[in-house]
Amino acid sequence: MKVAKAKLEERITPRDLREKGVDYILDKIRRSDGYYITNTERDLSQSDFKNRIMPHTQILVSEERNDAGYFSLEITGGASVHVDMLRKQINPLEKLEVLSAHMPDTMFQNLCRGINLFGYRPYPENVIRLTVRTFARYVHVWRVFDFLNYVPNMIPVFEEVKAAGCILEPCLCFSTGPEHTDKFYVKKVGELLDVTGEDIVLCIKNHGGVGTSKRIGGLVRAILDKYPDLVVHYHGHNTDGNDIGRIIEAVRNGAKIVDAGDHAFTGFYGPPPILTVIDTLEEYGHRAVGIDRQKVIDTSTKLRPQRECYKDFESQFFGFDPTVQTHKLPGGATGSSFEQAGKGGFLPLMPEILQKELPKVQKELGNWWSVTPGSQILWTTAVNNVLKKERYKDANDDLKNLMLGRYGDLPFYWPSDEIYASVFGPDWKETVEKEKGYQKIVDVDIEIEKRVLEQRLGRSVTEDELVLYLQHPNDAVNFFKFEEKYGKTWVLPPEIWFKKGGFNLGEKFKFSDAFGKQHIIEIGSKRKTKSGDVVTYLVIDHHPEPILTEMEQEAGGVRKKITLTAKEIDALAKSGDIRSTLKGTVNEIPVSEGGDVSAGQVLIVLEAMKMLNNVISEINGKVSEVLVSPGDEVDTGDSLVIIEKSD
Amino acid sequence: MFKIKKGKAMVKKRKIQKVLIANRGEVALRIIRTVKELGLFAIAVYEKPDSEALFIRFADDAILVGDGPRKDYLDPDRMIWAAHISGADAIHPGYGFLAENAEFSAACEKAGIVFIGPSSDVIQDLGNKVKAREIMKRAGIPFIPGTDNLSSGDKGIDETVEFGKNYGYPIMLKASSGGGGKGIRKVENESDILVQLPLARAEALSAFNDEKVYVEKCIEAPRHVEVQILADHHGNVIHLGTRDCSIQRRHQKLLEIAPADLPADVLETMHETAVSAARETNYTNAGTVEFLVNSKTNDFWFMEMNTRLQVEHTVTEILTGVDIVREQIRIAEGEALEIPGERVQLMGKAIQVRINAEDPKNNFWPEGGKRVEVYQSPGGHGIRLDGMVYQGYKIPTEYDSLLVKMTVRGYNWEQTIQRLRRALNDFLIVGPETTIPFYLAICDEPDFHKGKFDTSYLDTHPEIFNYPEKEREVAGLSKLIAEIHAKKTNPYAY
Repeated sequence: MKVAKAKLEERITPRDLREKGVDYILDKIRRSDGYYITNTERDLSQSDFKNRIMPHTQILVSEERNDAGYFSLEITGGASVHVDMLRKQINPLEKLEVLSAHMPDTMFQNLCRGINLFGYRPYPENVIRLTVRTFARYVHVWRVFDFLNYVPNMIPVFEEVKAAGCILEPCLCFSTGPEHTDKFYVKKVGELLDVTGEDIVLCIKNHGGVGTSKRIGGLVRAILDKYPDLVVHYHGHNTDGNDIGRIIEAVRNGAKIVDAGDHAFTGFYGPPPILTVIDTLEEYGHRAVGIDRQKVIDTSTKLRPQRECYKDFESQFFGFDPTVQTHKLPGGATGSSFEQAGKGGFLPLMPEILQKELPKVQKELGNWWSVTPGSQILWTTAVNNVLKKERYKDANDDLKNLMLGRYGDLPFYWPSDEIYASVFGPDWKETVEKEKGYQKIVDVDIEIEKRVLEQRLGRSVTEDELVLYLQHPNDAVNFFKFEEKYGKTWVLPPEIWFKKGGFNLGEKFKFSDAFGKQHIIEIGSKRKTKSGDVVTYLVIDHHPEPILTEMEQEAGGVRKKITLTAKEIDALAKSGDIRSTLKGTVNEIPVSEGGDVSAGQVLIVLEAMKMLNNVISEINGKVSEVLVSPGDEVDTGDSLVIIEKSD
Repeated sequence: MFKIKKGKAMVKKRKIQKVLIANRGEVALRIIRTVKELGLFAIAVYEKPDSEALFIRFADDAILVGDGPRKDYLDPDRMIWAAHISGADAIHPGYGFLAENAEFSAACEKAGIVFIGPSSDVIQDLGNKVKAREIMKRAGIPFIPGTDNLSSGDKGIDETVEFGKNYGYPIMLKASSGGGGKGIRKVENESDILVQLPLARAEALSAFNDEKVYVEKCIEAPRHVEVQILADHHGNVIHLGTRDCSIQRRHQKLLEIAPADLPADVLETMHETAVSAARETNYTNAGTVEFLVNSKTNDFWFMEMNTRLQVEHTVTEILTGVDIVREQIRIAEGEALEIPGERVQLMGKAIQVRINAEDPKNNFWPEGGKRVEVYQSPGGHGIRLDGMVYQGYKIPTEYDSLLVKMTVRGYNWEQTIQRLRRALNDFLIVGPETTIPFYLAICDEPDFHKGKFDTSYLDTHPEIFNYPEKEREVAGLSKLIAEIHAKKTNPYAY
């Protein structure tokens, strides 16, 4: 390692955690004469690049980042587990395995939504525990929150994180308003410590980047006055352009760890630049412990040319948004909200939604914390209220569940009766009385889920695959199928992955595959086939090879797709709609229209593969229609005979 | 020792000028090639769905015989009509279709057209398997226990039951006019007869226009070995060695090897048996005597004699250097064989594989309707290709799914397998699934290497079907890059 020895000794590494344990690390942080930095790669990617930063880019700067000396690299969790599978086509666990091999001296951190894990709704407890155990192989620091700051929602995760020997970092979700007093938050810290004990890192999670620097400094001070030995980690967003200010005040008031990002990729809604934090605090007499400043610069120097590849995923609106102080949208959701507004055609309504309706809804529903999944509930409700021109009409189930207390108690107050009436109708009182209460999610039978997954994939599955399936079933299955077809494509650089408009003739790419083998691929000519598909000639490792790409045909196209499964054909047969189970030729039709048939009678003889196959009636009835004649070619699923069922 | 007999006074010689090939696909092209080498005029016939077929391009003339599919190729009158309008004085029937149709042979003779094959009497006798058995029995040739043609209706069922009682199960139901694996059904027990017999009859009727079937004792897991025969009108009969066709799927040959791996004395007896079978039947032209061989004892039994060119004749040709079609034409002209039997040498080992547009993993389902978007074939020493495929070829749904037959020859078994593997890997076929990966899996299978295989090979080696779908990581990546290029965006990223 090229890292200076003194720096290395100040650092906290996965090895320290493994060999010396959580208490040793917390002590080391407390005793240090400065503060530590977490590089929030994942949050930057989610807030400013719609979660699309590719493993290729992460690997590209893995050495510099590993040598830079961060407390941790926040690299997974949040929405990234989902997007890894959905849009990056990488197994989120494999990503961590690969990256940790590249960055052996840096602890990995995640963001876990408590009972909602890395998703948007509560998971059963056995799924939560299995998931945490699985991710704990790679994730050393677990940042855990609940959007209602409702402690019971986080307990299973807390327990598993501790059992796995990882560093637990419970969050205080932070917001502003008359209820959000220091007193409230200090009391909340007490509630957390009651269940976790003091061997934790406490995170002030300022997902919206709200409040002033003075306010954050005051909060840190209030917490430390009550719990002086607590290690406080400040996390914020730079949406209003002032997160540096908040970070400075947090550290000046005793926070020991802060979040920031690589300046080559900083945008408007994510973390502020690491280097600015280091240099500013330096003048205040606070030292970034373990940090190699030059490596921080080197990382961004190497990253800068990559940003071009991600321009499609940057915000549609450039510029900071200080109005976040009223609409409080979390940085991680701002980009996607604008994207949704663009796609939904209501961009012009955004000022009304953000500045008027969203703050109003926020207050009406209880002024709790606008973060997943609460931020989605607030956002959707505000958009609906504006678009439908009638407030709280057709509320979705998430809002209903929330108002029924199923996600936990609201911290300050419940919505007004008028809102209950709009959401649940005139009989709202009965409904609420009958249904109100915390919703405990019943455990799933994990063995059954495993068998279902195996059936869907037609092969045996690993426990990692099962864990991913339990998070996002359909998207996980699609990803596994993708991987079966294309292999490990996350090795591809973003200039290939996100290319639009096709490549240039003669363009050449060099990359290593997941097994370390180097490849050179050169783009050759391309032609359309008679059936409308495309053959592309690629020079693969010096061998020219043509590759066929099947193109989706437009509606009414010539391609005929088999849409019926054997099961569906069988089901139709039982109802009298007899279809071919194979591709072949009609050899003989022993029945005729109007004739009676009984179950077991041969309806049609099909010839396929030089063999005769009987199509047998499964029911009694009358032949109402014969749709083929001898010699006809039939395909799987084609209609043969219609039988009118007799009773 | 055998001496070439020449110029028997009674043999009528007739010089052929124009040969009509009453067939399609790769065999039509194969015959056209030899016809042209002999300096003769090659006339192709084709049904409408074959309008873009490769063989037509190589013929000197081509006659459209109808809309098909199959029925016009099977129509003797259309073929004779085509011969008349094109001025053909001979017809080569190839294999399948009219090749073993005695009436067609007779009709040619009647129309003054030389039928390149045995006389209609011989086809009649040998084509009727029951009659063939009688002849062979007379000649003292060992044969498998079996019945005469079954009576029609329920009486046939009784006869089958009776046979099963006497000889035990399993038994085989075979179409009397059958061949090429068609019209064969295995019966496992007495109650199965009621199911299988009507199907066997129907199949026989549909395929051969003759619903007669007979019963034969089923020899379990035998080897299938055949001897290639050439016989002229001067009484000369020679053999061109054996072929092992044991590797089959549902009685359809997939891969053929020449010569069969049998002890020299067994081979010699088998050759002699085949030659005497041909003599006994007054056989002329090219023919094949098929034997079933007990894999353990090497005992063998006569199975049937095919009165036509075989699909797998290429393995014999590559091994001996003899052009069987050339000899067929010369024999048909009344010429005496030029090659003395002792001059026939079997040089090394040869394997033929049938590369079909089929998905081996999906029960060899034909890929009919798909187009071969890219086709590049292997070449080099010891490789022979007989095909109907070309870049842009659409796999017909009307006919079979054969793309190309590849025959490879090597100095010994090991080299031949190595060459086969190399050549299979050199194929580049984009579009349909093919049987190539299946053959590659066989190339790597240890029992095949040791020469240990019989007709149960595919059933006893299911692992062959577990070949990996994708051999290289870069193949998947390339597929994706091509897709991003073709679709102008990555559908898996946005």
